[in-house]
Amino acid sequence: MMRKIPVVLDGDPGHDDAIAWVLANASPMLAIKAVTSVCGNQTIEKTTYNAGRIMTLIGLDVPLAAGRVKPLVADPIIAPTVHGQSGLDGPALPEPKQKPADIDACTLMARVLEESSEPVVLIPTGPLTNVAALLLLYPHLKSKIRHIYMMGGGIAYGNWTCAAEFNILVDPEAADVVFRSGLPITMAGLDVTEKALVFPEDFERIRALGNPVAKVVAEWLDFFYGFHRSLGYPGAPVHDAVAVAALVKPELMTFQEMYVEIETTGDYCRGATVGDPMGLLKKPANVRCIMDIDRKGFVDLLAQAAETYSEGGNERA
Amino acid sequence: MLLDCDTGVDDAIAILLSKHLTNLELVGVTSVAGNVEIEKTTRNALCVLELAGMEHVPVYRGAAKPMMCEPITAYYVHGQNGLGDLSVPEPKRAPASLPAWDAIYETAKRYAGELTIVAIGPLTNLGLALAKYKELPKLISRIVLMGGAAVGGNVTPSAEFNIYADPEAADMVFTCGAEVVMCGLDVTMRAFLTPEELDELGELGAPQAKFARDAAQGVLAFSKGYGLPGMSMHDPVTLLYADDDSYFTAKRAGVRVETKGKLTRGKTVTDLYSDKQMEKNAVVVTGIDREAFKRRLFELMTQYGK
Repeated sequence: MMRKIPVVLDGDPGHDDAIAWVLANASPMLAIKAVTSVCGNQTIEKTTYNAGRIMTLIGLDVPLAAGRVKPLVADPIIAPTVHGQSGLDGPALPEPKQKPADIDACTLMARVLEESSEPVVLIPTGPLTNVAALLLLYPHLKSKIRHIYMMGGGIAYGNWTCAAEFNILVDPEAADVVFRSGLPITMAGLDVTEKALVFPEDFERIRALGNPVAKVVAEWLDFFYGFHRSLGYPGAPVHDAVAVAALVKPELMTFQEMYVEIETTGDYCRGATVGDPMGLLKKPANVRCIMDIDRKGFVDLLAQAAETYSEGGNERA
Repeated sequence: MLLDCDTGVDDAIAILLSKHLTNLELVGVTSVAGNVEIEKTTRNALCVLELAGMEHVPVYRGAAKPMMCEPITAYYVHGQNGLGDLSVPEPKRAPASLPAWDAIYETAKRYAGELTIVAIGPLTNLGLALAKYKELPKLISRIVLMGGAAVGGNVTPSAEFNIYADPEAADMVFTCGAEVVMCGLDVTMRAFLTPEELDELGELGAPQAKFARDAAQGVLAFSKGYGLPGMSMHDPVTLLYADDDSYFTAKRAGVRVETKGKLTRGKTVTDLYSDKQMEKNAVVVTGIDREAFKRRLFELMTQYGK
C-alpha cells in the first residue's frame, strides 16, 4: 500500500479553506496530522471556531490549535465582504466536537514535525503567520518540512490591493520569512487560482451528490460566489483548494519555477509577491509557481472528493 | 505633436518614423537624460532629425538628471553613444535656447489644446513642466507615454526603465489630470521585429532604413541574451499608437507609480486585473496586431525612398 504523506492544514476558514480541507480529508494520499488556525479572513476566534466546525462536519479528528491574535508585525485585516461576519457564512454547521489545544499553532506544528518519522508537508491557505513563527522558533525542525504548498500571492497582480493578494498582504513579514527559508515552496497564487473557477452548474453537480458534506460544499459555493458575481466573475475562484489539488493531482497544473521575493514596503505594493520570470536578478528559483490549471479536471477532483463523504463525515482509519 | 525623448536606438527609429505620419505633425523635440546622458541624447536627437531631413524641427535640451533620485543609464542596451555605436556626423545646428520644460509649455500654448505629447524617455521634463505650469494639463490634448507595465518589468522584475529612472516625475504625470495613455511593456514587448525583419528593413534602400537596421544590431544581441524573439520597438510603437490606434487594444484604468517600495520602486501599479479599483486616470494599452504594426512601420520607412 502507498505510504500516506503526512500534512498539516493551516488556514483561516473561510469558504475556500473549508473546501480545500474537504478535498484534503478525502484524499487517500494524505494523512492529516493536525489543523492550525490563523487570523486572516476573520479574527482568530472566528477562524478557530470555524476550523472546529469544519472538522466536525467532515469527521476529521486530529489536534487543532489556534494561532496568534494578529500577524507577526502588522495589524489584522479581515474580509467580511467575502466570507461574511462569521468568516464562514451560509449553511448551518455542527458545533465543534473538540476544543483547541492549549498550545499555540506553531508549537502544535513543531510537535507534529518532531513526532513524525518522515518529513511533513505544510498546507497554509491563509496568511503565513504560523509557518513563519514555526521557522523562527524551531529552526532545527526545518529539515522535517518536506514541502510547503501554499495559497497566496500573485506574480502578475493582486486582489485586495492592485499589487497584493490578501493572504500575503495580511502578513508580508511572515511571508518574507517563509519565502527566504530555502524550503521547497509551491505557490498557488492568483495567476492560477483565478482560473480555478467553479461555475454555478458545477455547484449543482456537487449538490446533487446528496450527502451532507456535498450539500454544505454547494452552499458554501453559493455564498462565496455571491461576492465574486458582484465583481463580474463567471464562477467562484476556489483559491485555497488549488494548493491541495497541486499536491494530490499535480498533473492538473502548469508550473513555472522562478525567484520570488516579498515586498514589505511601499505605498501601493506592500504584500506583493515580486516574481522574476525573466531572470533579471540572476537569482536561483526559490518557488514553484502554479500558472495554469485544467479547470475541468479541478472541478472533477472537487466533486469526486465531495462524493466520498457519507452521513457522519469521513472517518477513515 | 511634441516628442520628448532620450535618444536611444528605438527613440531614433521613432524620430525617423515621425516624418510621414498621417495624423500627427512633429513640431518640437525635447531631450532628456535616460538611455545615455543629456549631452548625448540632445546631440542624437539633432543628428537623427538631420538624417530624417527634419532640420526645421527645434530641439530643446531638457533635464540632465531625474527630479529626486540618482540618474541611471542603459549603455548596455544602446551602446556608448546611444545609437548602437554607429558613427554619425556631428549635427550642423545647436539646440534651441529655451529649456525643455518651458518649450513644452510654450508649444502647448501655441497649439491651444491640440498638442499631443509623445513621451518616450524618463518623464523628468514633463514633471518639471507640471511643477512650473499648473495650467499645462488643460492646454494639451493628451500625453502618450512609453513606460511602465501592468505586469512585469525590464530593469527590475517590477519596473520598466523609463518609469524606474524617475518614478516621482512619472507619478506626477499620471495624476496631472490630462489624458494619459500608457504604452508599457505589455504592448511594446509584443511589438518586436525579428533579426530577419530588421534585415528586410535595412534592404528597403533608403539610408534612414539602413541606419535603423544597423543601429538595432546591439539591442538585438542584448535582447537575444534574454531569450526574446527580436528587438522590442518600445518607442516606435508608442509613436505609432499616438498616430493611429486602430490596431491596438486598450482599457481605461487606474494607474499610480510606486515610489517607495524596496523591491517595487518604479512599478506602474494598475487596477486592470485586481478586485481593488482606483480612480481611472489613464488608458493602458494592452494588445496589438503585430502584423499591422510591422506593415505600418515598413510603410513609413518606405516613404524615405520616394
